[in-house]
Amino acid sequence: MRSELLRGLRMLDLSDEKGALCGKIFADMGAEVIKVEPPSGCSSRNIPPFLDDQPGLDRGLGFLAWNAGKKSITLNLECEDGRQLLRMLAERADFLVDSFPLDYLQSLGLGYDALAPLNPGLIHATVTAFGDRGPGKNYKAADINGWAAGGAMFLMGEEGRPPIQMSVPQSWLHAAAEAAVASMIAYYARTADGLGQHILVDMQACIVWTLMNEQAMPLLHGDYLRRSGVFTGAVGGRRKTVYKCADGFVSFILAGGPYLNSTNAMIAWIKEEGAAPDWLTRGGGLKSLTPSGFMGATAADLAELERTEEVVQQFFLTKTKKELWANILKRRLFGAPVADAADIAEDPQLKARGYFVTVEHRGLDRALTLPGAFAKLSETPVGPQGAAPQLGEHNEEIYGALLGLGAREIVELRAAGAI
Amino acid sequence: MGKLPFEGIHVLDFTWYAVGPVTTKYLADYGADVVRIESAARLDALRLAPPWKDAQPGVNRSQFFASFNTSKRGVTLDMSKPEAREIFLRMLPWADLVTESFTPKTMRNWGLDYERLSAIKPDLIMLSTCMQGQTGPHRDYPGFGNLMAALSGFYHVSGYSKDEPCPPYGAFTDFIAPRFSACAVIAALDYRRRTGKGQYIDMSQYEAALHNLAPMLVDYFASGRVLEPVGNRSERHAPHGAYRCADEDAHERWISIAAGADSEWSALTKILGIGDSARRFATMRARLRDRDALDEIIGAAVRGRSAEELTESLQKAGVAAYPVQNCMDLHRDENLDAFGFWRWLDHQEMGPSPYEGLEHRMSRTPGDLRRPAPALGQHNDEVFREILGMNADEIERLRRDKVIY
Repeated sequence: MRSELLRGLRMLDLSDEKGALCGKIFADMGAEVIKVEPPSGCSSRNIPPFLDDQPGLDRGLGFLAWNAGKKSITLNLECEDGRQLLRMLAERADFLVDSFPLDYLQSLGLGYDALAPLNPGLIHATVTAFGDRGPGKNYKAADINGWAAGGAMFLMGEEGRPPIQMSVPQSWLHAAAEAAVASMIAYYARTADGLGQHILVDMQACIVWTLMNEQAMPLLHGDYLRRSGVFTGAVGGRRKTVYKCADGFVSFILAGGPYLNSTNAMIAWIKEEGAAPDWLTRGGGLKSLTPSGFMGATAADLAELERTEEVVQQFFLTKTKKELWANILKRRLFGAPVADAADIAEDPQLKARGYFVTVEHRGLDRALTLPGAFAKLSETPVGPQGAAPQLGEHNEEIYGALLGLGAREIVELRAAGAI
Repeated sequence: MGKLPFEGIHVLDFTWYAVGPVTTKYLADYGADVVRIESAARLDALRLAPPWKDAQPGVNRSQFFASFNTSKRGVTLDMSKPEAREIFLRMLPWADLVTESFTPKTMRNWGLDYERLSAIKPDLIMLSTCMQGQTGPHRDYPGFGNLMAALSGFYHVSGYSKDEPCPPYGAFTDFIAPRFSACAVIAALDYRRRTGKGQYIDMSQYEAALHNLAPMLVDYFASGRVLEPVGNRSERHAPHGAYRCADEDAHERWISIAAGADSEWSALTKILGIGDSARRFATMRARLRDRDALDEIIGAAVRGRSAEELTESLQKAGVAAYPVQNCMDLHRDENLDAFGFWRWLDHQEMGPSPYEGLEHRMSRTPGDLRRPAPALGQHNDEVFREILGMNADEIERLRRDKVIY
């Protein structure tokens, strides 16, 4: 059942993979999201990896995931009949999101300035890579370039080896989700006076924002952080964050400050199992872990920390991810297994909350399981509203019922290459 | 400037660390009156986290804290004291929204769960955000976004290969969840406006973050395949990666390049001058098949060249490229600068300090960093006077009793 939260609101989603998550969030909240695709299909349908490794317009895993619950129509923006249809749709829409190169929609006479007179309440968000004012405003960007431009890439990888990105690219997702928040803010503004506006999202800025304020470090402390593999840390506080265990990896941090209790509990556990060397437990634990513990460690502190990390590493090698996770929960340690897709799919916590949702994909004649509600709302539950649409699946519904076009007009528009 | 969208919206904000404060920052920067309720007895640890003004720690010297708390006011109440809880309950009718990000039992133990609060204020909206949600066997798991990034799969898909993990920097999921929770909260405010009904929002950082790994999970459930990390490999771009350029004043510089279509490849070979050595890579299939050799050729060709100049040439020819910026580079990045991203605000104790601006720009009702982050308890007098009509004597007494603390 469609969520009541945004019921009655309509979004035109003209974006490709760069903006898809925006419309997905709106669809999960109950808005009617119409994906407007060129007659050959949105290019994001062709992005690998594919279901069962078989390419196909309905088989891209990212497409299936981030377009679930949307409707699809085909519309050719490159012809005047198509542009006329878009104007008619825009008159009936509350939101529009696009991720075209800057000025593309304007060049077609479909920019915000052209659409706003038709529908002053329209909220139009444009997802860009580098904004609209700098020398890079027309730059192309694949996801990896956003990761690089925003500073996340430089911090990921081993010293002496190339910096890397995640194997599920993240940059555009941050920008698309930012477009969703901004669109909601603009919508709230509209409730006061009925007027919409244009929103411009900057992906590069969205990535900088993920750096946990490391970005301010050079200005206040005079140096910038280098990537260091499984280690992390501000100046003087290098710490190991990932350890090998019997069947994979686990994340754990030995530190003071908010980590102090957890660190002591970890050492107690090692001691309990008879695996703690004498020096580690004598005289009240680690000296290097001052309560404020983030910075200012001396060489002796770091040497002690390193020796302790080695003890913890040896201990973890005797435990599986499951055993570690059980103890992390029981002993209230600050740690977590480095979970893979299988671990997550089987997680009893997610199961207890009924998180994953299965939807039927008609074109594939197959059930697909998706991440469920991003939050539990007591009055207006949200979550996936259905599977990703097939190309043009809702042409009749949208052009017929919504725009009121007759069967003959639709045939004509098809023949004209507009639909 | 006209009225801001959330002018007149009142928020009592118990959240700490990142997810909650970043969520309420969206409201505050757009006009809501967000009052953060903190306590020296149970300090938001970000207040002690670097970077610090002049590299000197102090509860009012952390830019980390400051960045996430712009445009808000700050009061202090030691909620472990019954009188502090009474004061909060007296403030409650003023609020449209209450937010908290403790482990689930905290608000219950204080007798301040949604059931209790909504009995006093029936149309209240309340957001509880924590690691794994308010229900389920792991609900009391305490943790930070870096651990959540491990638990929710981001660490696993980060590395050169399965055996060489390299996690993303910091608390990655802390910067995914707020965009979801902000959408939920704003939509709930609108729902209340339309229907008069408040509601309770139970936000699990875990469940929000998994949306950013959705394809991996769709795949696993459909085919049983477990995604493993592949470094900079892409299935639709080759070359695709980071390549080392000329150092600049002994700082290493890299360029990210992604080329897909044949036209991009041929433009790239011209600019890099590798027409001959790269002839065997004329087709996409050939490029995808032998990516190591391809990377070697590209690597050799860009070594010694300027990352900036190369970016400019490649982009001019239609090839996606950008320097791999370090945190220092970000402050002289011309695109961020043109967007107006970096902002200096004059903080009461820190003086002029570097803040991030918004990541988007709105044409008609632009939000703004309306004021720097509050010092601990900075607005005690004005807030308790305004909302509760407290006089100076009472405030002084509460300070003495460490209720306001």
